[in-house]
Amino acid sequence: MSAVTCELCPRGCTIPEGAAGDCRVRVNLGGKLRATTYGRPSAIHIDPMEKKPLYHFHPGSPVFSIATAGCNLHCLNCQNWQLSQRGGEEMEEIYRLDPPDLVRAAQGEGCRSIAYTYSDPIVFYEYVYDSSELAHREGLANVFITAAYINQKPLRRLCRVLDAANADLKAFDDGFYRRVNAATLQPVLDALVTLKEEGVWLEVTNLVIPTLNDDLALIRRMARWIRDALGADTPLHFSRFQPQYRLRNLPPTPGETLDRARREALDAGLRYVYVGNVLGHEGNSTYCPSDGTLLIRRVGFLIAENRLTADGRCPTCNQVIPGVWQ
Amino acid sequence: MKTETERETTAMKQRRHLLKALGGLGILGLAWPGVSRPAQRPRELSLKEADFYRPHDLAG
Repeated sequence: MSAVTCELCPRGCTIPEGAAGDCRVRVNLGGKLRATTYGRPSAIHIDPMEKKPLYHFHPGSPVFSIATAGCNLHCLNCQNWQLSQRGGEEMEEIYRLDPPDLVRAAQGEGCRSIAYTYSDPIVFYEYVYDSSELAHREGLANVFITAAYINQKPLRRLCRVLDAANADLKAFDDGFYRRVNAATLQPVLDALVTLKEEGVWLEVTNLVIPTLNDDLALIRRMARWIRDALGADTPLHFSRFQPQYRLRNLPPTPGETLDRARREALDAGLRYVYVGNVLGHEGNSTYCPSDGTLLIRRVGFLIAENRLTADGRCPTCNQVIPGVWQ
Repeated sequence: MKTETERETTAMKQRRHLLKALGGLGILGLAWPGVSRPAQRPRELSLKEADFYRPHDLAG
């Protein structure tokens, strides 16, 4: 019997022959590790870029979004658990869409970018890499929506073909990661730094869950770490929790909690702090950090008004607003 | 003479037995609406070799 050790994520599963890793989709067949969902997405949608959420990258553009089954995390609050907590063979819908077909489909739908999203695209790494390489050749951008629980070597390689990422920082607390996500904090922090170092446009999301990670001191530490390690221009999204999957006992995040979290992060020196999953909140929009001018007004995922200049500056004070605007 | 509650209990037991029997048919692979597996579930998964792994000799 020939086992293999998967070196893709920090979990480092040792997988006996015929079995799958913890992610359910990387399987040892005959002593070789197989990526069983390569070219086999189970979710295909066209989303606005704001849904990822990416607020400083191609605003208002449609993005061809795919995911396969499986995930290397097991978050108690997963909003896509029907997809993420299953193996490919358990899915009722599984499409065949190899990288050339995926790129053609995105082009055919008029999308300028492809998002690898919904579950964690780390577990369909090879599919992401090959598709992204091809997409680049065809002039499309690649965006990666992830919990960033990945080893350094595969991440560095992947960064060559990524243009933007939104990475979850689920809490600035290793105990939270262990209890709620079945993961650990440090590899995630390392991955975020690497994404930044490698020049991938990075935005960070923190889902605020009542009683579990809504402590303001924790949020302050997280915001300071982002400021120091990733830069004050890194957009941070505080997202509202909705009860689901195995955390249905908790209420949705109160608006005041999100307001306080946003204030804390702004006070820590972050310049672009957003509130998500709350329709009409002032934190949905982008403001100039110099003079407070409203630059991009969002209503849900829609861009109601975009006042940025063509080269990404504030129209009143000429402040450069970091992002990939074209 | 059975009371209303006793009649309900009997009906529930019968329903449970019936469901068990139908479940048994499902295990035998006989389709039954709403009980068995979905009629069509594509299972053609990929055999693409993964990029980051190493052989690990359990015996060694």
